Amino acid sequence: MNRKGVHKTRRPRNQYNTTMASSDPNKLLSKADKLTRLSLTRWSADWKTATVLYEQAANGFRVSKNIEKAKTAYEKASQGQQMLSSPWDAAKHMESAAALAKELSNWREVADFYQKASELFMECGRPQPASDALAKGARALEDTMPEEAIQLYTDAITILEDDEKEQMSFDLYRAVTSVYIKLEKYTDAASSLLRLGLAADKCNATNSQTKAYLGAIIVYLYAHDFKQAEQCYNDCTQIDAFLKSDHSRCAGKFLSAYTDGDVDEIKKIAQSSAVSHLDHAIIRLARKLPTGDVSSLKAVTAEDDEEPLDENDLT
Amino acid sequence: MSVIDLLTRVDSICKKYDKYDLEKHKDANVSGDDAFVRLYSSVNSDIESLLQKAETASKDRGKASAVAINAEIRRTKARLLEEVPKLQRLAVKKVKGLSSQEFAARNDLVLALPERIQAIPDGTPAAPKQTGGWASSASRAEIKFDSDGRFDDEYFQSTDQSNQFRQEYEMRRIKQDQGLDVIAEGLDTLKDMAHDMNEELDRQVPLMDEIDTKVDKASSDLKNTNVRLKDTVNQLRSSRNFCIDIVLLIIILGIAAYLYKFEILRRIGRLVKDRKLEGCSSIRNILLKVC
Repeated sequence: MNRKGVHKTRRPRNQYNTTMASSDPNKLLSKADKLTRLSLTRWSADWKTATVLYEQAANGFRVSKNIEKAKTAYEKASQGQQMLSSPWDAAKHMESAAALAKELSNWREVADFYQKASELFMECGRPQPASDALAKGARALEDTMPEEAIQLYTDAITILEDDEKEQMSFDLYRAVTSVYIKLEKYTDAASSLLRLGLAADKCNATNSQTKAYLGAIIVYLYAHDFKQAEQCYNDCTQIDAFLKSDHSRCAGKFLSAYTDGDVDEIKKIAQSSAVSHLDHAIIRLARKLPTGDVSSLKAVTAEDDEEPLDENDLT
Repeated sequence: MSVIDLLTRVDSICKKYDKYDLEKHKDANVSGDDAFVRLYSSVNSDIESLLQKAETASKDRGKASAVAINAEIRRTKARLLEEVPKLQRLAVKKVKGLSSQEFAARNDLVLALPERIQAIPDGTPAAPKQTGGWASSASRAEIKFDSDGRFDDEYFQSTDQSNQFRQEYEMRRIKQDQGLDVIAEGLDTLKDMAHDMNEELDRQVPLMDEIDTKVDKASSDLKNTNVRLKDTVNQLRSSRNFCIDIVLLIIILGIAAYLYKFEILRRIGRLVKDRKLEGCSSIRNILLKVC
């Protein structure tokens, strides 16, 4: 260009981007569409250039805050990358599309896009980004479509566990538990905590494990299901790590306070340090203990111990 | 001969030669004469058996059998201790055929018995030394009390001063307990944080390993690429190619010069023919005239 004697002006960077293809994103989009649409004159779609154009269009739209169009452009770019058999880029574009869909509050699309992105990541053989994508989707949907969010979280956890990366799944389990608690499905919350305990056991993460078990017992007590709580406690004490820990002592104190019907004692235990280190959702539950009538529990358990131990009775 | 026959024959032989069995006679003689010796020997044998049982109990430490054996030992010890006074009474009685030394010795033996019985280990921890009142402890030379043993009733009366002191002590203790509670909470939090940090680091170890392998692979790829690039560039810049280039250049220049020279010579020839070259001293003037 210099040889021809044309003076090349220096442009600022962003201007360089939008003017790079010498047209605004809409034009790029239409151009790319033309390249991909099959017609009499075009027997095979030229995905390579089309994908490049789609990406540029999407960037342009994003900069100009045209979210709807940006989302569509990203979708098409992802499709193009798939055609070019590069699932990684396709997945990345899908994720961007999903993030934009989230801003549009288009929840169904958010779920779909994130799932698609996760599948593409799995195609690449990278389970971690796959589960990350699902987790992002679930987080976005927590408030609006909690059932869907739970489903996505569970899928993400399954992916990680298949890859034997249980350590990463702790956060996901905690998120699932908090969603269940918000939905007031306490048995499900407790069971997810128990699964967290199992995952922690596999990685020898004893602190998380004991915290999970204590949390499960507290959830059962909150749901006023004393028998279940006791059963849970008995099951968990089979595990050495739990038996030797502070948390099991705290759980035992809880249960004995319940059997004694001592509300003050329960409140005191809920303030103790063992409980304060749990997940904040569970701490909130613990502070609200005891729910319902503790004295009725006391009557029930007192009946069971009615026959005094007869020392001379050798049976 | 059957076993039964053997046994009956052995029995009859033993009975026949019983009178030659000294030990048995000794025992029989002794037990026949002296109640004291009889009782003493029985107590002795009991003590021996208890010691043996204590040994077996100490070998099976922690088993239920050890506990049972210890309980039995304790019961037997109590029974034996009851028999000691009986022995003492017997010891005082005079028996015919007994020397005075032996008599005195008997007393000592009896006195030594309770200690021996107590000394048998039965699983209880050693009884703490009895202080036996102020008098006996004050009698130890090393331990001294400041007030020289004036421990009468007045000394232990609760005065105002002592009450106040006690109250102050209680207050201070309560404050200490509160402070210790705060410290305990802080330590609990620290412990929890430390555990979480431990788990987090455990989580990151495999990730670091992955990063390690990936970076190693990337760096080896880079090295390979660098080497290949170096080879390619060297090939382009190799001296052989340079020489070839220079030689070809010289040849072209030579050809050009040859052609040019040819042209110049022709022109000089023409000039000479036309006699225009007189007075041209230098070649430059000649060339100027030629062009």
